[in-house]
Amino acid sequence: MTFSPDLIIGVISFIFTILIFSYLIGDNPLFRIAVYLFVGVSAGYVAAIAVWQVLIPRLGYPLWFGSLNEKIFAAVPLLGVLFIFMKASSRLSGVARMTMAFLVGAGAAVILAGAVIGTLIPQVEATINFFDLNAAASRNIGFMEAIGNGSIVLAGTIFSLVYFHFGASPKADGSMRRPKVIEIIAWVGRIFIGITLGAIFAGVYAAALTALIERISSLINFFKLFGNF
Amino acid sequence: MRVITAFIAITTGVLILGGYFFPALADVQTLLLNWAIILAGAAALVGIFNLISVHTDKIRRGEKGSTYSALLVIGLVATFTIGILLRPQHSAMQIVLSGIIIPAEAALMGVLTISLLYAAIRLLRRRTDMMGIVFLVTAALLFLGSATMRSGDIPLIGTLIRPWVSQILALGGARGILIGVALGTLTTGIRVLFGVDRPYGGQ
Repeated sequence: MTFSPDLIIGVISFIFTILIFSYLIGDNPLFRIAVYLFVGVSAGYVAAIAVWQVLIPRLGYPLWFGSLNEKIFAAVPLLGVLFIFMKASSRLSGVARMTMAFLVGAGAAVILAGAVIGTLIPQVEATINFFDLNAAASRNIGFMEAIGNGSIVLAGTIFSLVYFHFGASPKADGSMRRPKVIEIIAWVGRIFIGITLGAIFAGVYAAALTALIERISSLINFFKLFGNF
Repeated sequence: MRVITAFIAITTGVLILGGYFFPALADVQTLLLNWAIILAGAAALVGIFNLISVHTDKIRRGEKGSTYSALLVIGLVATFTIGILLRPQHSAMQIVLSGIIIPAEAALMGVLTISLLYAAIRLLRRRTDMMGIVFLVTAALLFLGSATMRSGDIPLIGTLIRPWVSQILALGGARGILIGVALGTLTTGIRVLFGVDRPYGGQ
């Protein structure tokens, strides 16, 4: 008797789905078994991916099959990898700091550039573009609607930013309070943030519901499959 | 050591950042980013090794829940060994991915439906201030608005209120949060590049 991969996948996924759904009656050993196995298997999968898709093609191949230049350039990260593996030992973990410093420097530069090029400039541009009346006209949006919507988005952006301004000065009674104007703007900002978080919640909830429906549907299909046997 | 690590971090950061603005540094940037990807892969392996050592310690000491730790270690070692021997594209690894990882993630996401609903009810009971009410009313409106009836979208809520709330009102707040996060990221990045913050060790 041979088992097709689809059948094996169906059986395993059915068992895992049931084990995880058992959480709905409360935290229990079955749920924990599923979660611990899931974490272990995922970590093993990620480790295998890291070896086969990062370390071997980017480090292994240049070292074994590359030109002299490629071998020299691959020797530097090889040294870094050896240093970083020393982090596993408490005695030698200090050496790994150099590699960590390299990673932190590289990460800081990438996130800095990402924040400016990927978030700040596009977000500010997109807010300004709301007031582009020609673009609005080409999308059949009237003057008042474009200005009104643009003003609300601009106000939401500024007021939400002001909400995160925590600069305060001491009052006569010794308490620390933000200036009155900032307090009022921050209060309106809170409303905008509440609306945004509500919208995000609705999105996440819809996604979670979709996943729930997909899992229930897979359980039903599994029962139907066995019903046919 | 502190000076050397700070020098490495600052030089790496400045060279990579320079690559975004000066074409002459683009090759150096690519090389450094390639090294960073290799080192990040190695760091992930060290992290996973740490996970194994934490759980094997729990098993050795016979702590409460060590059976679960044993399952975690067995699952990890088995998957890693199969993955290394057969490669991630092999059908055995595809069974692991499609039979365990994806269904478990989807089921956990499904359980989140109940958890989120419970959290929303608790929020309504415990914190009935302006922020809580605005949050829940928006969530309910958008959720109701995205429901589709047999005749199409729900009139008014689905056709007018939901698009306006999600594309105008929520957009303003989202932009404020995003710009705030970007400014915070910018400040943190600059502090690291100036050597003020040294998360890699040293004061």
